[in-house]
Amino acid sequence: MTATGVRLRRAGEQFAVAKPLVAIDSASKVYGTNRGLAPLSLAINAGERVALVGPSGSGKTTLLRLLAGALVPDQGPRSVIINGKSPGELKPGRELASLVGIVSQRFDLVPHLPVLHNVLAGRLGHWSLARSVLSLVWPMERRAAQQALARVGIADKINERPGRLSGGEQQRVAIARMMMQSPLVILADEPVASLDPARAEEVMELLVGLVSLDMGHGNGDDGSSQRTLIASLHTASLIRRHFTRVIGLRESRVQFDLPAGELDDAVLDELYDLGDDNGDVEPLAGLAARDG
Amino acid sequence: MERTGMEQSHPAGAARARFNVLRWSAYAAALLVALSWAFILLDGNSGFGDLFRERTWQNAGQFVASLAGAGSGAPSPFVQAARWRETGQLALNTLAMSVLAMGIAGAGALVLLMPGARNVSDGTLGGAPSHTGRVVYAAVRIFYTLTRAVPELVWAMLIVFFLSPGIIPGALALGIHNLGIVGRLTSEVVENLDPAPARALRAAGASSPKVLLYGVFPQALPLFLTFLMYRWEVVIRTTVVVGFLNAGGLGREFRLRMSWFHYDDVGLLLVWYLLLVIAVDVLSAQLRRRVRWD
Repeated sequence: MTATGVRLRRAGEQFAVAKPLVAIDSASKVYGTNRGLAPLSLAINAGERVALVGPSGSGKTTLLRLLAGALVPDQGPRSVIINGKSPGELKPGRELASLVGIVSQRFDLVPHLPVLHNVLAGRLGHWSLARSVLSLVWPMERRAAQQALARVGIADKINERPGRLSGGEQQRVAIARMMMQSPLVILADEPVASLDPARAEEVMELLVGLVSLDMGHGNGDDGSSQRTLIASLHTASLIRRHFTRVIGLRESRVQFDLPAGELDDAVLDELYDLGDDNGDVEPLAGLAARDG
Repeated sequence: MERTGMEQSHPAGAARARFNVLRWSAYAAALLVALSWAFILLDGNSGFGDLFRERTWQNAGQFVASLAGAGSGAPSPFVQAARWRETGQLALNTLAMSVLAMGIAGAGALVLLMPGARNVSDGTLGGAPSHTGRVVYAAVRIFYTLTRAVPELVWAMLIVFFLSPGIIPGALALGIHNLGIVGRLTSEVVENLDPAPARALRAAGASSPKVLLYGVFPQALPLFLTFLMYRWEVVIRTTVVVGFLNAGGLGREFRLRMSWFHYDDVGLLLVWYLLLVIAVDVLSAQLRRRVRWD
């Protein structure tokens, strides 16, 4: 299985010419009089790790929610296509859960459920209602949840309440939940925004690890363990180290679309409009740059 | 300059005005108190004078003594094991009535918890907003108001009309009234929940019933149990009042013994009643502590 995973990953890197996995065809979203997203087109291939950068209000969250199927574009659901399906058209359930999953900045764990059940919640899309009810009393797939927690390094917290965990640990629980959900496309809305640089680095490593990780469930579709990551974040050093591609959004338009390695601070400064007079534009970048 | 002047004059004026109001209120209050006392003391029929008559205090003393089992000639029920057993059985019945009442209120509130919350019916917590949801929401809220507005005593009077006396009508009356109270409180807990975890579950592919099951129930449950325990403390006290209406338990016996002038038996019933109230208070406090984890 591991060998297959590696082979698929190599294949994915040379995938650029094939049909894109994620296709956004001039999708836009207007909330009342506010423009959430101007018409935007984007193609993302399987196996890419895409970072979305841009100032607050540039449309990153709207874009991610369109991809997650939580919002439907004004042009209709078919203007966002993932692996031939439109997330906005799918009802909550197995199909949508194996297509896309999202991790948010606030982790969004259920405060009164133990970590175990929060992790197992990733399986809710796959389980029947009866199985979900039963699992609250007698946890199903406990071993898989244990493995997921071990992989994110907090196996000992399985019976804790989320409220007793630190921010970094809570985000690990959210990542373990994502492992259980095992979607083809992993979306992350500022997953490290509330974490200190060291924790941000660790969490980002785990998140990127999901892309090539065989999560044991498969996707049911093509058996591929190749996943795609699309995350919004602001830290140039994290982007250069963990991503393959970076897309700059500004006023909900694509300002640049570069290989992550070519992202330099000047490009980012211009995007955030910090100007030349300010030399110390990204204080966190230096802190986060630990052993690469 | 002008503004400063206004600011200086304004508070002084306000202080003078408030001072006057206070002073006149005090005068008025003093006058009212004096008039009230005069009215009570001058009117011979108010019965107020009885409070100070020696005879009243003698009667009260005699009554307390007979509650304790003195002066009836017969052996006091306090020293008869059989009487303790009989009345203990009644106390158990009363306890059963209160538990049954809380079961009725709890089960009802649990079932109506979701449809009775606005954010569930309008789809904020996941799930699509639907006409049916809104209609059911309105119906549940009206039901809560009705059950809550009618006191348990009135419910009991209505229910003993068509149910034979016993703990069941009492439990029903208490249960229906408390269903309205606990139900409304719990639905309001759900309405104040953070919708983010529910949305995250939805994003993980959970359908509406699963979102409610994993995202809403676990959060609402501890407070729901806390409300239920608080109401239980109130209900165990009210069982006696409801019992007066032939609804069984200590209350019914209390009324019968009073009308037969068996004051020593009444005293024994009161002892059981106190024990019951204390036991429920302690138990409720313990259970409430158990469900509070966060």
